[in-house]
Order: sequence, then C-alpha cells, then structure tokens
Amino acid sequence: MNSSAADNKSGGGCEFQENLEILRQIDFFAGLPIETLKIFAYLCTREKYQADDYLFSQNDDDGQAFYLISGRAVLVHTTDDTQIDVLQCGPGEFMGSLALLGSMPRLFSLQAADAVECLVMTREKFTRAIEQFPELMPRLLKSVVVNIRSWEKRSMAAMKSKGISLSGMVGISAQ
Amino acid sequence: MAKQKVPMVKRSLFSWIMGPNTKLQLLVLVLIAITVFTRVLPLEMQKRIVNEAIRLRNVDLLVHYCAIYLVSVVSASLLKYLVNVLQVIISQRTLARMRKGLFAHIITLPLSFFRNTQPGLVVSSIVSELALPSNFVGMAVAVPLINLLTLVAFAGYLFWLNAWLAALSLSIYPAVVFLVPLLQRRVNLANKKRVDLTRRLSDKVAESISGIHEIHGSGAYGIEDRKVGAIVDRLYRIRLRWDLLRAGVKTSNNFFTSLGPFLVFILGGYLTIQGQLELGALVAFLSAQEKLYDPWKELIQFYQAYQDGMVSYNKTMSYFDAEPDYALTPPDRPPLDIEGKVTVQNLAFVTGDGLKLLDDISLSLKPGDHLALIGFSGSGKSTLAQCIGQLYAYTNGHVLFGDAEVEELSKQDMIRNMGFVSQTPFIFDGTIEENLLYACEAMDDDSQQAASRPSLDDKIQVLHQTGLFTDTLRFGLNTIFNPGQDDHLVEQLIRVRRSFQKQFGDSLAEYVEFFDENRYLYHSSVAANLLFGSPNRERFKGARLVADTYFLDFLKHAELQRPLIELGADLTRQTIDILGNLPPDNLFFEQSPIAPDELETFKALNLQTQRRKLHQLDEADRAKLLELALRFTPGRHKMVSFPHLLERLILEGRALFKEKISADDPEAFSFYDKEQYIFSQTIQNNIFFGKTTTTNVKAQDKIVQSIIHLLIEEDLLETIVRIGMQYQVGGKGDKLSGGQRQKLAIARVLLKSPKLLIMDEATSALDNKSQARIQNFLDSRLKGKATVIAVVHRLDIIKNFDQVAVMKAGKLMEIGTYDDLMAHKGVLYELVSGRQ
Repeated sequence: MNSSAADNKSGGGCEFQENLEILRQIDFFAGLPIETLKIFAYLCTREKYQADDYLFSQNDDDGQAFYLISGRAVLVHTTDDTQIDVLQCGPGEFMGSLALLGSMPRLFSLQAADAVECLVMTREKFTRAIEQFPELMPRLLKSVVVNIRSWEKRSMAAMKSKGISLSGMVGISAQ
Repeated sequence: MAKQKVPMVKRSLFSWIMGPNTKLQLLVLVLIAITVFTRVLPLEMQKRIVNEAIRLRNVDLLVHYCAIYLVSVVSASLLKYLVNVLQVIISQRTLARMRKGLFAHIITLPLSFFRNTQPGLVVSSIVSELALPSNFVGMAVAVPLINLLTLVAFAGYLFWLNAWLAALSLSIYPAVVFLVPLLQRRVNLANKKRVDLTRRLSDKVAESISGIHEIHGSGAYGIEDRKVGAIVDRLYRIRLRWDLLRAGVKTSNNFFTSLGPFLVFILGGYLTIQGQLELGALVAFLSAQEKLYDPWKELIQFYQAYQDGMVSYNKTMSYFDAEPDYALTPPDRPPLDIEGKVTVQNLAFVTGDGLKLLDDISLSLKPGDHLALIGFSGSGKSTLAQCIGQLYAYTNGHVLFGDAEVEELSKQDMIRNMGFVSQTPFIFDGTIEENLLYACEAMDDDSQQAASRPSLDDKIQVLHQTGLFTDTLRFGLNTIFNPGQDDHLVEQLIRVRRSFQKQFGDSLAEYVEFFDENRYLYHSSVAANLLFGSPNRERFKGARLVADTYFLDFLKHAELQRPLIELGADLTRQTIDILGNLPPDNLFFEQSPIAPDELETFKALNLQTQRRKLHQLDEADRAKLLELALRFTPGRHKMVSFPHLLERLILEGRALFKEKISADDPEAFSFYDKEQYIFSQTIQNNIFFGKTTTTNVKAQDKIVQSIIHLLIEEDLLETIVRIGMQYQVGGKGDKLSGGQRQKLAIARVLLKSPKLLIMDEATSALDNKSQARIQNFLDSRLKGKATVIAVVHRLDIIKNFDQVAVMKAGKLMEIGTYDDLMAHKGVLYELVSGRQ
C-alpha cells in the first residue's frame, strides 16, 4: 500500500501520457473527447498496494475507481464470518466505475493478491471535472446502461451453465 | 432614522434624493445660487469693458473690470467643481446605502425565492444595476437646478439688454429640443435593428462552424456563404443608416449652435448700426449665445439619466419585492429559551403549483428524543426537516417547538435554540476557526448580551466529536513557521524529529523521501533541490529568488538556465493544454505548477512561446518560465517528463551552489541539517526531515497516527491543532474535501449546543468510520439532552434512534421504534431487507 508518486522519475516517459493511453482503453472513458480525457488523465493518481492490502472495503463509500496496471486482486464478499471470493481481477481491468457516478457503499471488498499498482480516480475529482462538460453525462449514462445489460447477460449465462435457477435471482436490468 | 421603516424595495427612487442627503443637497442649493451669479457677471463685465473701458480708452477701468471678470470666472469654475464634488459624494453615498440595504433585504428573503433566482442576477443587481439610479440621485438636485437657473438668469439678462434680440436668439433652442430627439429616436430604432441583426449573424456563424463537418461532407460552402452573406448585406445597410443618422444628429446640433451667432449678428448688427444697441451689449449677446448651449445639453442628458436610472431602479426593486417569511428579531421581548420538545400536527406543504410535498404529517418528540427520518429521495423527508427548522414556511397544520408555533417565532428565537446542518453545507472563505464560530457569532450578532465565546477546549471538543480533529491536525502539520515566531516550539519539534527517527524511521520509510544531500528529491521543487536549505536573506526568498542576479549568474554558470527555461516552456504548454479551459478551482490545480490565478498570464505566455524561439522572448517572459521551472516537482507534476540530464545537472548544481555561497556569503543559507529546524519547510516535513510521497488516504492515516503518538509525548497535540485551526479553507471551502466540509458544518452547529439539532443527510459524504463516530457521539452524548431529527439515507445507523419515521410521497407511512417497525414487517422492513 504505497503510493508511487515518485514514478515520474527522470529518464522515463511522462506519466500523464501513459495515463492518457490507459484511459483510452477503458470502455467507460473511451467515448469521451480527447480534451476531457486529458483532464481525467491529469487528475488520476497512481497507487501501489502490497499483497493483502485492501483497495476498498465492504460497506465503505470510498468513491474510487481503480484500473489495475499490474498485479492481481480479488473481489470478496463477507457475510458474518464467511468470506467468498467473487471475482479475480488482473491487469487491464477497471473496477468501480459506478462509484464515480454516485454514492455507492461497497457490497464487496477488493483485496490485493500480490503487489498491485493501479490508477485511481476519485468521485470528487470525477464529478467536479464532468460538471465542466455537462453535455458528456448522457454518453456516460449510455455506457453504464450498456454495461448493466451485459453484466446481467453474463451472469445469466453463468448461472445457466451451473444449473442455477434464474427464478427470483435476476432481472436487475429490467427494473 | 425613521421608526416605521419602509422596506427597501418599496421605496421610490425620489426618496433617496433627500433623506440623509438633505444637508448636502441644501449646501448644493446655496452653491448653485452663487454659481449662477458668477456666470452672469462676466457677461456684464464684457459689456462694460467694450462700452466703457475701451470706448473711453480708460486703462484703470479696463483693469478694474477685467479683475472682476477674472474673479468671477475663477469662482464660477471653483464652485462648479465643488458642486461636482458634492454630487459625486451624494451619488456614491447613495450607491453604498442602496447596495447595503438591498443585500441585507435579499438575504432575508425566503429560500423558496432563491429556487428561481440565479446568484448571478443578485450579483449584477447589487454590483452593476444600482450604479445608474445612484448616479441620478447625485444629479437630481444639482443638474436641473444649476442649468435651469443659468438659463433663466442668462435669458433675464439678455431680455434686460434687448428684448427683441433676446427672443430671437433664444428661439432656436426649442427647435433643437424638438428636432434632435426626433432624429435620435430614429437612431435608436436603427440601433435596435443593428443589435438584432448582429445577434443573428453570430448565431448563423456559430451554427455554420458547429456544423462544419456537414459542410465539408456535402461541400456546401456556397450555401453557407450565401446564408451568411445575406445577413452581412442587411447588416451593412442598417449600419450605414445608423451611422448616417448619428452623423445627422451631430450635424444638426452643430448647425443650430452655429446658427445662433448668425441671428445675433444679423439683427444685433443692424440694431447696433442703427444705434439702438450698444457694441458692448452685442459682445455680451455673442458670448451668452455660446454659453447657452451647454445648459440645454446638460438638461437633455439629465433627462436621459433620469430615464435610465428609473428603469433600472424599478426593475431591480420590483424583482426583489418579496417579504421575508419570518421576523428577524422578536418585536417586543428578548429571544425565547425553548425546550427541545417538537410537536407536528397535520402538517402540509403545498408548492405554488399545487404539488403536495408534505401531506398530513403528525408526530411528537419529547425533549432529548432522537428521530430518524427515512424514505426514498423525493419522499419529503428533507422538506419535513426544513419545515421544522423554519427554512420553509409550511402551508397547513402546525409545528410546535417547545410550546410555540414555529411560524410565529422570530429567526432569532430559532437560531438560539436550534441547529440545522444541511445536506450540502456551505463553508465560507476564511479559517477553520472562523467557520467553527460562524453559527455562534450569528447568535451573538443582534443580541444585547453577547453569549460567552466558546473556549479553545470547546472548539477542540467539537473537533473531536465530529472527527475533524485529525484533519485539523494535518492542516497544522502543513504550516510553515517564521523564524523567531515560537522558539520553544521549534526546540520541541526537533525533539519530535529525533523520536520519529527512533520509533518510526524504518516502518514509515516507504512513505517518506528523506532529505539526503546526495539524492534528487522528487517530491521537492527544483529550487529546493538546488538550494537544499532555507534562505536567511530576503533576496533569496520566495518569488524574489528568480529575480536575484547572484542566483541567475549561478544558474548560467551551472549551465542550468537554458534547460530550465525549456522545462518551464514545456510545463506551460502541457499545463495550459490540459487545464486551459477549466475554472480556477483549487481541485483542478492541486497537481499543477501553475496556480489558478496565474492561468491567464501563462496562457498569454504560452502563445508567445509558440510564436517565438525561447531566446527571442523578452526578459520578463523568460523569468516567468524560469520561475515555473523552479517550482517543478516531478512527484506531483506529472504532465511532463523530467529529462535525466537535467536531474544530474541540478544535483551537480546543488554542490556547486553550496560551495559558491559558502565562500561568498556563508550566512545566507541554512542548509538542511538534522539538528536544525528548517524554516522553509512545513512542521510535518521538519518532523520527518523529509517529505511524504503518498497521497493515499490509508497511508496518510498511518502517518498521522504515528505523529499524534509523538506529539502527545511532547504535549504538543493541542498546539498543532490550534495552528491548524488557522488554516484557510478557500472560497466555498474548496480546499476541504466534501467530508471535511460536512464535519466542519456539524462541528459549527454542535459548538452552540442547540437544544434541537436537525441534520438533513448531514453525514452523507463521510466514510463509514466517520459516520459511525458521529452517530456514536449522538447516541452516547446527546440522547436525553438534545432533541435530534436526522434525515438519514443509510439504514444501518438508525437502530439506536428512539423513533424511526418512514416517509413516502409526502406521507408518513409508519413511525415507531426500529424494533417495533421491523417486527410489524411494514415499509421499513421492506426497505431494510430490500437494501441489504
């Protein structure tokens, strides 16, 4: 869990340009004009986490989204004493886009499995920046809608393949 | 001051003319009477100089008359100046009074008024709209009086000299008065058309440019050219007409002015030849003729000023012609002490367009009871809290606070007994401490006996209760001290530094970049890397460094000047590219070397650097670029890469500078030394003897916890927090995070220990831990002591409330204890099980 603000050391490339390249690959941001992406690339920071560190914890409304640059992390859900691994995340994955859009107490925790480096965007920065471009909000909402549908479609497929009945379990995107 | 005050917005513009200005206006009156006399006197002197002194060739008489002439001309000018001074004083005093009065009125208007009123409108009303009316008030007595009297006096004098000639020469003015406005009206009409067409032209051009893709796609250049061309042609014609008419007005004015002397010459000359008029009188006529024009002109301008002033005054006043919902102070008694009992009976709140936001709500709270209001957004829970808190005037039913109807209580009764924390609290520019005292000071403001001011202990207590303590401590740790400000504290901090090295040197090493003479500090600026010490001479401090010849010579010598200017240009280009179009909000500029208020300067500079080579820039621009480069901190400013060569040059430069300055002026710098306090660095950096490298919240918590531990050992904790309370929060508190703003808003209300505390989603921006901390404080310390009404959006914190009220679409669905409602399996049960 160490921030890596010193990454902009001499010699290497410019961190801002690298961030910009990363954002262009993330679906959530990809549709935005380059001027806006530049602002986001400038506003996000890089953080390092050690194995077992929590990137975010269940019930916290930390308002952050993470892009994993390197390392692996596990999404876990805790009920009373039992802990279930929900999802394995690896480099190139973007977690928590919904937390950027509004208050979102976490339903899961994200725990580093090994040394993790990621790009972090906070809701406060995101909101203040997007306020400058109100015309972009509909585009973001569209991408959220598309995502919600594809999430549910995937989980339905997964449930079917495991033989779990869909009754009463799905239908979020229809609400 | 009158006892029965007419509300500001009901006053007529004319009422401002006298009032408190009466004495000044009377003075103006006296001055004007004398002025008019001194204006006519020179005419008589002219006549006598010609008729008596010149004709009789009497030099004594000539000197005598000329002296009187001179004295009256000089005093006329002086008096006119004095009248102008008074006019300016009256108009500015009126402007100040109008501004204060209008602002004081506007901020007492009900909140509902502001739902349809943009802040910009209030700003322009107070800042610009009142200028014209107050300008009129300044002129109102002086201008018409002085000009009318002058006209009358001149006319009287001329009639006395020769009635026929006087009648003839005055006859042109009525013609001017009628004809010129007629032309002017046509000018105005043309002008209006011009403005309309200009707007259409800009709309059309904007449309074409926005649709440039389509134009290129269809190759429709010709179509667009024709569309724009047609408007341009019409604009050309109307502008031509407008300009010609304007020229016409000017010409006719000039023509009539020149016509005057012609009439005087033709008739006056004839009369003089006939011996019916003295030559002196003719001279007096000629000169009076010339002077008659100005009073006419000023009168017409005055009429215009009256029209303008009246229009903008009436517009402004009628817009804000509303009344506050509540009296500010109780009319005939001291403010009440109210016990924290709240009774709501059949409460309804219906908006102007008939929307029922609250419908038949009844509930009651004993003093010290805690009530949670829950429900979806739009269910009316905030509105209910606001009605109880007197922020909105309810339309039906009753809200009793203690035993008094809230509607009938004055604002002062409310604020003395109730604290309201809103959903999006507002923090004002100033220090943490000033904001903490905001609610308490407001309470003292109007009352006779000032309530005792909160002590330092009180303030620290509320900081603890709200969890703002650590934040404030952090601000304190980020403070830079001046040498000699507190020597004792400095010694203590050196001791803290030693304990830090001993206890946390290793465990926190990954978060700190220690000051090391042989390594580049990525979290310090280029300047700090070069100097590696704090300056003891004014010439090397802050912004002066970049102008200091010794330092500049050193940069050249160390071959750093050019690469640094290049770095500065690179930083400018990149930063402007990213941030150039953003508002000057601190959040956007935290990671930028350019401060928000410098943005425009560097934008201009950026244009220069794009057009010219760096060596062609002028000295001032190069100095700016250099200054920017010296701020560059690679760990924070990520928009450019940091050339490896430059890093090595700077490291070499550090050694070189130390060598050079130690030889030339050994006392000039205190180089970083583990045994010395560094006055150019913050308290925290002094404790670390280095700088933190992390912006990660969890890491920062860990660091602060360690420092708290050390500060407690030295008994310094409160001292640093006290320093932290002086932290400037920035306009709208934008140097604070959303959570910090909410904590501060809660703290400032807790500081006045209200008997009724209303919190409208007051902890929504807080993380779990902070929210739990505040909830815990409410449960353990306030229960039974202060009544709490909390609008809550998170269901996991409501278990300990005495009552839970569930709302939906303006109606109270159910109310009771958490356990009862859950057992009852009603709406709350559904909400809780649905959400978890």
